[in-house]
Amino acid sequence: MRRITARTLCLLVLIVPFLAGLGILVVQFTVHGGKWAADRTNQHIYTKGQPSATGAILDRNGVALRSTKNGKMVWPSSSDLRRATLHAAGDVDGIIGTGAQHAFADTLSGYNRIQGLFSTIKYGRGSNVTLSIDAELCKSAYRALNGRKGTVGVYNYKTGEVLCMVSAPAFDPKNKPAFTEKQLAKGGAYEAVYLNRFLNGLYTPGSVFKVVTGAAAIENIPDLGSRTFHCEGKFATGEGWVTCSGKHGDLSFEEGFNVSCNVVFATLALELGEETLRTYAQDMGFNKTLHADGIVLATSKFPKKDPEKPLSRIELGWTGIGQGTVLANPAQMLTLMGAIANNGNGIAPRLTLSTETPSGLVIPSLLSATPIKIRIDTAAQLKTYLHSNVLNYYDKSGTNRDLGLCGKTGTAEVEDGKPHAWFVGFSQNLATPYAVVVTVEHGGSGKDNAYPIAVKMLRELK
Amino acid sequence: MPRPLAAVRMPGNPPAAPVRGIWPLAMVLVTAFQAFTFGPLLLKEHVPDLLYITFLCYIPAEWLFLTLVRVIMRQKDLLAECLALWLCGIGLAVCGSISAEYAWKQAVAVALGMMVYAGMLWLIADPERAMTVRPYVAFATMLLLALNLGIGLLKGMKNDNASSDQYNWIVLGGVSIQPSEIAKVAFIFVGAATLDRLQKAPSITRYMIFALGCIGTLVLLKDFGSVLLFFCVFLFLSVLRAADMRVLTLVTAAAVLGAAAVIYYRPYIANRFAAYRHVWEYKYDLGMQQARVLMYSSSGGLFGLGLGNGKLRGTYAASTDLVFGTIAEELGLVVAFLIPLCYIAIAGYAIRAARTPRSSFYSIAAISAAGLLLIQAALNVFGATDLLPFTGVTLPFVSRGGTSILSVWGLLAFVRACARDDPHIKDAPFIRKSKPTPPTPPQTTGEFVPVVGDVYFS
Repeated sequence: MRRITARTLCLLVLIVPFLAGLGILVVQFTVHGGKWAADRTNQHIYTKGQPSATGAILDRNGVALRSTKNGKMVWPSSSDLRRATLHAAGDVDGIIGTGAQHAFADTLSGYNRIQGLFSTIKYGRGSNVTLSIDAELCKSAYRALNGRKGTVGVYNYKTGEVLCMVSAPAFDPKNKPAFTEKQLAKGGAYEAVYLNRFLNGLYTPGSVFKVVTGAAAIENIPDLGSRTFHCEGKFATGEGWVTCSGKHGDLSFEEGFNVSCNVVFATLALELGEETLRTYAQDMGFNKTLHADGIVLATSKFPKKDPEKPLSRIELGWTGIGQGTVLANPAQMLTLMGAIANNGNGIAPRLTLSTETPSGLVIPSLLSATPIKIRIDTAAQLKTYLHSNVLNYYDKSGTNRDLGLCGKTGTAEVEDGKPHAWFVGFSQNLATPYAVVVTVEHGGSGKDNAYPIAVKMLRELK
Repeated sequence: MPRPLAAVRMPGNPPAAPVRGIWPLAMVLVTAFQAFTFGPLLLKEHVPDLLYITFLCYIPAEWLFLTLVRVIMRQKDLLAECLALWLCGIGLAVCGSISAEYAWKQAVAVALGMMVYAGMLWLIADPERAMTVRPYVAFATMLLLALNLGIGLLKGMKNDNASSDQYNWIVLGGVSIQPSEIAKVAFIFVGAATLDRLQKAPSITRYMIFALGCIGTLVLLKDFGSVLLFFCVFLFLSVLRAADMRVLTLVTAAAVLGAAAVIYYRPYIANRFAAYRHVWEYKYDLGMQQARVLMYSSSGGLFGLGLGNGKLRGTYAASTDLVFGTIAEELGLVVAFLIPLCYIAIAGYAIRAARTPRSSFYSIAAISAAGLLLIQAALNVFGATDLLPFTGVTLPFVSRGGTSILSVWGLLAFVRACARDDPHIKDAPFIRKSKPTPPTPPQTTGEFVPVVGDVYFS
């Protein structure tokens, strides 16, 4: 009997894991409850996979990009506006993972941990999410791309608010076309149409990477400002040639920056060395996971350290001018521009302004983090050089001087067609604290194809 | 020489103090809760008279039941019964929110469950009587399961992909019976009575045959939830008997190998569990039920959307295997999580009672019954929420289903029978006095050591 009595404690063997299981469930409901409740099969807020009682998605001016009324979706009247905001607001099927419809699904459902979806059912709608984008500006950017693939991003480098986030190609979510495989395949009209190229695109940066090489040179080469470089149209690395777009002759660092001379920057890359260049690239957001309102950005890539196989001189030369295996994400480059403009503090992009609960309580979004930091004096010098680029090269006529624009174009050579056109820059005017990134896939010259779009954006914001 | 069954309390182990006087307060709270849950259902438009009658009769019936237990059995500590009634009330409310017919059937099942509880108490009040009926119960259980299997085969159970839900029922005169539920009570009854018989080899062999027969029949019926349940209880009884780790390891290894062989030769069985821990990937097919439980449970928040306002109820088995999710969505996670805590409370109650049993029969039976309730609750709650594979067992006292309710009340009787040994109620009905037993000579190799007078323990 005593043995059996002692063994009654065997029940504890069951009770302990039972309690542990309940504890795990509590944690799971606390952590994942919002995501689970917002699932598209939840008939409280979706009907046949279509939102029926989720909150509205609004732009910064209160324009409803997605809303529901009497259990049905309500759309903006302009089809261009619907296309332009597709990747920001998302598609109703939730395939665009970074779109608000999907990324903020738990917020839109109106879920909260105490009440679940009680308020959503009571008021007939979930929480409204106000995005930071300006829908009309997005429409303008979409039209400026004029059918070309690429992305346009504009953000306030003081607050991180993204005012424009356009990715092309796009489609009208209200009348979603039936895509053929050929259209979705590489080179097709709807190639990677569900990808938000601003947040998740990765492109060869070309000359816009010279900002990184330039920053490293400013801090590590003492006589940089007084030094004279010589460009004969190509640079011998000892293992091969790094070619340049022209024969620039003798030129200073600033002039080399203005004309984007590959010889100048390949020379600097070799002098700095692989390790120094990598350190600066990583400090400026390469090989680093960045976020925008909780959405993970595609990670910009700089060649990882490989003691077995360091970069050769020719590889390092090309890497220093943004070619080779370097890849850049537009949102990361925008944040880097924000860091230069904002005294070294690169504030992360922020996609939402506020949330309004079903009962009408408005909750402002959290302020963004500062994932990229550079030295304030380096930022100041880079700002000077970037402004010089605009004054002396992109805007020789001076028609856009009122914008206070600083920036760098890129014409990134790629294997499968014309180069990608890039522009990264910002306005240094206090009234227009905006940074801008434009990438036009296979667009050709950055100066001719990306820069004008950036100017157009800043002009509209002025 | 057989050991006397009705040995009295062990020396040096004082009776546990029952928690007296609390149960009326607990029952008042239960009644208040039921008023809050039944009330809104009765205030809706076009409520059938049957639902009014069911709810309005149910609450007095609960009090009558407790009063009878209190008066006839002279029990002062009825907390376990209060918990069971609270659980049954929740199940009844869920049924009532679906249909009046479900509600009255459930209420009738609870009433019958109370009778089963009383009947079981009478049966096991006298351990000698329990011993006498033990082989008949075992035989009847095997016969019932064999009948179930035969009917299942006649219905075409050979179809590999057929669900056990279609075949683990017997319909007699319009009443559906689930033999595996009845077998649970019998399994513990026979097991506890046999093991109390001092592990005599013939008894053990017969019990092993009985256990293998039950489990084997359930395997053939593809009722894997019950298989798992019975196997756990079998292990549990084995631990209470001998705790021979070598034997246990051997049995467990054999079971695991057997399961692996079944999965190897019948891969479709493994497919049923393919969604385990991947329910969101299979949310439109294999994992739909579990994904919906998680989704709608979260939707209910802490306090629920109100009975009848949920969406999970549109899913198959919402009031049976998925009832935890239905309760979480409509009554809230707070109520839903209180339910599993009730089984822990009943287990704690059994532990306390088993410290001072009248014989090891009661101790084994109470501990096994409480263990079975815990395991069954775990399989239901954690299966529906994807912490364990979804095997489709009912939630004790809560899930809709007559046989299930009868079965769990029968199990509760084992716990009560163990707890009722109170020096103050020796003259209570249903308790048969033990005949004086002559002292047993000391055994050198046996398990028993005489202590004083007629007290024996091992």
